[in-house]
Amino acid sequence: MASDPQSAANQRIVEDLVSRLRRRQVVGSRATALETLLVLRQVVSKARFSNIDQLVNVIRSVGRRLVEAQPKEHSVGNTVRKVLHHIREEYHTASEPPAIETSFSIAKFVLQGQPRRQTTIPRSETRVPLKENDPDDPDSFARVLKPVLMEAIQDVFDELETVYDNISKNAKDHIHSDEIILTLGMSTTVQSFLKAAAHYRNYTVIVAETAPSYGGREMAKSLSSAGISTFLVPDSSIYALMSRVNKVILGAHAILANGGMFATSGSLLAATAARSYSTPVVVCAGQFKLTPLWNLYHEYGALDFGDPSAVLGFEEGDLVDKVDVVNPYYDYVQPELLDVFITNYGDHPPSSIYRLLKETYDDEDNEL
Amino acid sequence: MPSSYRDRAGSVDGYGSVDRGPKSRGLRIFSHFGLPKTLGHQVKGDIHPAIVRLALQFSEFKICGANARCIATLTAFKTVIQDYVTPPHNTLSRHLMTYLSPQITHLVAARPMSVTMGNAIRQLKLEISDSDIDLPEQDAKDELCQKIDNYIRDRIIIADEVIEDLAVKKIKDGDVVLTYARSSLVEKIILRAHSLNKQFSVIVIDSRPLLEGKTLLHSLTSTVPPIPCTYALLPALPSLITDADVVLLGAHSLHANGSVYSRAGTAMVAMLAKEHSVPVMLCCETYKFSETVMLDGFGKNELGSFIPKFSPDTPKSNSNLEVLNPLYDSTPPSCITAVVTEVGLIPPTSISSIPLALGKTTL
Repeated sequence: MASDPQSAANQRIVEDLVSRLRRRQVVGSRATALETLLVLRQVVSKARFSNIDQLVNVIRSVGRRLVEAQPKEHSVGNTVRKVLHHIREEYHTASEPPAIETSFSIAKFVLQGQPRRQTTIPRSETRVPLKENDPDDPDSFARVLKPVLMEAIQDVFDELETVYDNISKNAKDHIHSDEIILTLGMSTTVQSFLKAAAHYRNYTVIVAETAPSYGGREMAKSLSSAGISTFLVPDSSIYALMSRVNKVILGAHAILANGGMFATSGSLLAATAARSYSTPVVVCAGQFKLTPLWNLYHEYGALDFGDPSAVLGFEEGDLVDKVDVVNPYYDYVQPELLDVFITNYGDHPPSSIYRLLKETYDDEDNEL
Repeated sequence: MPSSYRDRAGSVDGYGSVDRGPKSRGLRIFSHFGLPKTLGHQVKGDIHPAIVRLALQFSEFKICGANARCIATLTAFKTVIQDYVTPPHNTLSRHLMTYLSPQITHLVAARPMSVTMGNAIRQLKLEISDSDIDLPEQDAKDELCQKIDNYIRDRIIIADEVIEDLAVKKIKDGDVVLTYARSSLVEKIILRAHSLNKQFSVIVIDSRPLLEGKTLLHSLTSTVPPIPCTYALLPALPSLITDADVVLLGAHSLHANGSVYSRAGTAMVAMLAKEHSVPVMLCCETYKFSETVMLDGFGKNELGSFIPKFSPDTPKSNSNLEVLNPLYDSTPPSCITAVVTEVGLIPPTSISSIPLALGKTTL
């Protein structure tokens, strides 16, 4: 229920991102997460509210618009959920009397789950009493809470900024000397992970080209220029080479609540081939890709299609109008095929993703 | 043709001349793949022009596919045999093979010998050594050529027709047939099913390095009425496999343990089809059987050295980056539902009993 003049300004910046998302001018999970966060920061800083529900409603309505603009970019919704979670947490710390959470009991653990790591850091030292819906000074609530909220959003921001470093920091524990790693597509997360490991280990990477985007070529160029011994192969030879591969490292588009994931098409083939040779499959992904969703309808992966001309171009003129051409963006990879997710919060087996989700987001935000 | 040859030579240079010192490990893993040959023009010894031409066609992939290569080789050998003159103080049955050996070596230098060629040449050797010493030379040569024609007819052409008859029965109205790249035999089966007025559609899955599926698409869509086709690249396969009712695949060779050596990608199509409980029918003539055992696609393979024209952005190999194009892979027998041969539909594990069933001691 932000007042009209400010909501207009908010609307403009929201509208701008909505149209860029819709036109796919902003793509990639991290880029969209960053853009969303920038918009939310603006929205929060300009919003007028006199109680927490008003603020949450403003953010949710902005979030809903952004998500509707590009429902397949899950990191948009995830960022909104995360910000909401942080806001509620800040609100609770600010409104509750201090020093209530000093004791830790099993009963509380059962009721509330594991203590959240955000709550362990005391933030605002100077405590001003929070007063909601003050009839004399309706802005007082916002005035007190806003600095804390900006700080919380800044934390999410910092986390996004350092996500690659934090994922890569344990790379040397996962990649050992003289191993042969198979990867595919172009994932910045995987790329920085492999490059970080190359500081400590001497190993070989086989990159599958990943038709029709051929992101693998870009990946191979980048890895080889970092001094990693790299082999670029067509997708068709993944199975033939799998018997010599020690580990498959994949990137993710979105990690789902059941521990499965959406990833570049081709990932499912590689993961299935890996399983038939009992090769471990490692997924590197930032925590902002955790999505409280289930994929119940597996066909066509995420139901998102790319440009068919990349598969069968107009140079095959006489074929174009006789043949259906399919170019799905993503595969749905079942949790049974994956061994570990490496996120900036640490390493998680697919079976514990649901717990991570509970810790990261509030249940009421699953549907924005 | 000359320009494509030059392209290839350029890429080969990229392979041959780089200093492999720092990445000796990478090289070691792949060393047994057999690096692409620079051969082409230089001809050592007394090589028949027909063989020189064939070798060039092989090395440039103008003729590829197990059947096509076998037929082309046998046809070229017919010309060679007709042009052959037994030297004095020698007999044809003793000397012809010593004349053919360098020809075969030349072909193998252009591209590793296919199992089909190996089987056919072994049979030819047998026929040559069996030929009657007392026969006039021209008659002996005619007899050999006749035997070659019979081999092509019996083991390939008639066999294909029988396989078509058998496989077509497995395509029913309303089916969706999935195939990978282009096998000449699968193409004939699909066209036969279409000519029998069966109503079905085809999903063609394709992949680099050869993108053979486009050729298949051309022939399937040029029928009247055109067969409804869907085309996708290999990474999109998981999205399409759920629609398929039957998977038809071709093979390069079949091994004694039941594993299938075929174009790279076949194994993944079969694997995923098995995962989704779609029956996989492998279409393969009995002359493609090999007595050897193949455990994985890594042990024996072949590299395509070419960088195709349609992907100019393929990076060039440098000291850290090597572009490999393995051409084959090996499908484990567990992923194959049935092998369609001219002697019937059999499970892949029963391959080794076929030569005996055919009443032969050699293939």
